[in-house]
Amino acid sequence: MNRENSSLLSVRDLVVRYRTGKHRGAELTAVRNVSLEIEAGNIFALVGESGSGKSSLAQTILRPRTAESGSVLFHGEDLANISKSGMKKARKNIQIVFQDPLASLSPRRTVLQTLTEPLNHFRIGAAADRESRAIAMLETVGLTAEDGNRYPHALSGGQRQRVALARALVVEPELIIADEPLSSLDVRVQAKILDLISDLRDKLSVAFLFVSHDLSVVRQLADTVAVMYLGRIVECAPAGEVFSRPAHPYTRSLLNAVAAPDPRRPAPVVLKGEPPSPLTPPTGCVFHKRCTEMIEPCSSVVPEEIELGEPDGYPPKSKGAINANHRVRCLLWRTPNA
Amino acid sequence: MKQAALSVHKLNVSVRSASGTVNVVKSVSFDLAAGEVLALVGESGCGKTKTAEAIMRLIPHDIGQAQADTIELNGVNLEALPEKRMRDIRGRKISMVFQEPLTALDPVFTIGSQLSSVYRRHRGQSKRKARASSVDMLDRVGIADSRRIMKTYPHQLSGGMRQRVMVSMAMACQPRVLIADEPTTALDVTTQAQVLSQLVGLGHESGTSILLITHDLGIVAQYCDRAMVMLHGQIVEEAGVTELFSRPQHPYTRELLAACPGAAVL
Repeated sequence: MNRENSSLLSVRDLVVRYRTGKHRGAELTAVRNVSLEIEAGNIFALVGESGSGKSSLAQTILRPRTAESGSVLFHGEDLANISKSGMKKARKNIQIVFQDPLASLSPRRTVLQTLTEPLNHFRIGAAADRESRAIAMLETVGLTAEDGNRYPHALSGGQRQRVALARALVVEPELIIADEPLSSLDVRVQAKILDLISDLRDKLSVAFLFVSHDLSVVRQLADTVAVMYLGRIVECAPAGEVFSRPAHPYTRSLLNAVAAPDPRRPAPVVLKGEPPSPLTPPTGCVFHKRCTEMIEPCSSVVPEEIELGEPDGYPPKSKGAINANHRVRCLLWRTPNA
Repeated sequence: MKQAALSVHKLNVSVRSASGTVNVVKSVSFDLAAGEVLALVGESGCGKTKTAEAIMRLIPHDIGQAQADTIELNGVNLEALPEKRMRDIRGRKISMVFQEPLTALDPVFTIGSQLSSVYRRHRGQSKRKARASSVDMLDRVGIADSRRIMKTYPHQLSGGMRQRVMVSMAMACQPRVLIADEPTTALDVTTQAQVLSQLVGLGHESGTSILLITHDLGIVAQYCDRAMVMLHGQIVEEAGVTELFSRPQHPYTRELLAACPGAAVL
């Protein structure tokens, strides 16, 4: 009970299914029994390859009624069974930033119009003050009052993403869902937006659900990391833990596939094969077909999520105490008391 | 010294826009040695892609103009060739992999028909022979189930598969030079590692030199021998990869490295 109340957002056993194919006859499970908790002011990163279900999960948080089963609780309140006014309030408190700001910002509105719109909609502040609020927010994200009179097409990619962030932040939300917000930007601009996001988190104490496929970005920013594969969270732990002691073979493959920007570091290791189709998911562990450490039961037994205690002989090199809250779905690990 | 596979001397590209003519590539010169993997690094808009298109002679006259003292491929000056001869060379002696395979592949033809057409056009192979060569090539870029893939259309494939098809088309004739323009930017890390290692591996096998255009310093560090850094249409620094990362000279190179998490900065 107390733990439930402490979480800003908690997702319980969420399943998202789509009907697809000819005559909508095929069923695709995009998200399989996913649970996660986001604490206030935390940056929670969701990592995975394309098609792993990370965007489906992020978007379903905003429209939980489309979920097949499971629940999304915001401050302990179930968003699927909430009053209309309650949902409106929740919508103010959960904002979203998309990957491509040019597609998500209205081309016919100036930046300032885009920023005052949500203030008008939620009737925040006195009407006369809204413009100055919007301008203050522009300055917070590193733009100027003058930029407010420009249209998205006249801005650079980095400036547009700043506008998208300002648009989300101007209503003072508690959680921002950012779906690959850096993917369309150059490295130098990425670095600046990254700094901005961690600044904003400190200044405005807003939490982020940060969806990304880029591990180097996540490493710099996240407090907690969840790794998704074919609709399942296969590992979830504090960020330092995931990068220093990755427990799932898939997490390790992901980390090893990154080309390190340093010629002295070892070359990337190629993970063989393609992610399986979510229309015909493998039996047992979703990753077993590409796993180099597969053991026999992996092809038939679906691994339960376990919290890591002292390692039961795996992986052999693990040193030191294992942090609590490090959860993994892999048969190579056994429950501590098994 | 070995003869350069590709030698570009004083390449300029200007592009027409509403506000007048803009010089997007300014006096770019470089040599690409035989079998070498050379990176061209820079941010969007710096002129990387236009450099590649100018070498391939793919810039339409109504959009812009490319001009160079020489662009020599294996001792042949591409600048002076009539378009008809250039068409024989493109895809056979010098080929290109584009960033977005879905726009580079033809949506109304199967993979098999597009790939075989390379063998028929440049190698004069029969229909049957070209199909066999195509299946063989798809196998070599790590496509399992290549016979089935031959019958599919581009939209039916994943991004990684499409890019592998592009690589197989570009490498089909074992060209002297391959230009790869951000070949893995749209792909996941795991797929990126697969495609790049196949690309570089095939290059080694057939002695193809690769000009790899990228903005990702990780790719430069791990897959390239040498690198050129481009800023506002000019090459501001050129060095061996180890040298570039341990002793970057130009302030812009340092800035790029500083912005890159995990890069060893001075």
